[in-house]
Amino acid sequence: MPPQDEHALIEASRAGDPAAVEGLVRSHQGRVYGFAMRMCRNVEDAKDILQETFLGMLRSIKEFRGESKFTTWLYRIASNACLKKRRRGVFEPEPEQELSLDDLMPRPGSDGRKPEIADWSEDAERALLRGELTAQMEAAIDRLPREYKIVLVLRDVEGFSAEETAEMLKLSVPAVKSRLHRARVFVRRELAGYFQDQQKA
Amino acid sequence: MTCRELFERLSEYVDGELSQEICEEIRHHMEGCDPCVAFARTLKTTAELCRRLPSQPIPPEVAADLRAALAGHLSKRK
Repeated sequence: MPPQDEHALIEASRAGDPAAVEGLVRSHQGRVYGFAMRMCRNVEDAKDILQETFLGMLRSIKEFRGESKFTTWLYRIASNACLKKRRRGVFEPEPEQELSLDDLMPRPGSDGRKPEIADWSEDAERALLRGELTAQMEAAIDRLPREYKIVLVLRDVEGFSAEETAEMLKLSVPAVKSRLHRARVFVRRELAGYFQDQQKA
Repeated sequence: MTCRELFERLSEYVDGELSQEICEEIRHHMEGCDPCVAFARTLKTTAELCRRLPSQPIPPEVAADLRAALAGHLSKRK
């Protein structure tokens, strides 16, 4: 949507115009739902998050001053709703679990030599084309503790900048970068395990 | 630069966020270190793969329930 059209919809929504509200909802609902589904992997929870996000938008749109992009502002409400959701079952990682770089760094061999690291970047392209990789990626991302997962999803899946992500999550930019790095290294390790198994098979 | 120092900065490196000076140091290290090259390439691939994950489309009944919730809110405000 061109920015001036969105601006007009925001102005009219502030005055309570239902058609303008519908316009804003229509242009953002698909993306917010996809984000919520990826965060909680469950239609009922995603539906709640979607409703909380747009009800939150209606409640506070008067306070939206246009200092950030509308999408950033909306995702801030959505991110809050995702992080507040209760953990489902014991298999979801503890949200407050810390990922340490020392644990994630590949270990040298017992003889002290550098670790052997396979370069599977080209295999990944082929596996993606065969449709095999998506489920592996989804599962690896789901194993991340929630506070790392949300950073990876916002930055690498949704494509927001570090600055936008920091604003959405009320974190500093260095904190976003630090969590993103740990999350990527974690997912990389999971994928490396998958490609190693593939090679053995 | 050690492998560990490089490892800490690799996401910033693949995202193009480091100064030219540090990038030079990283490239210099990588010239003699195959594991770091492979790690950097696969880390970059990981980030690129995330960007290509398909997103779940919104089911019509979820969109309809959202409309109902918003209409309820708007009518209460009047």
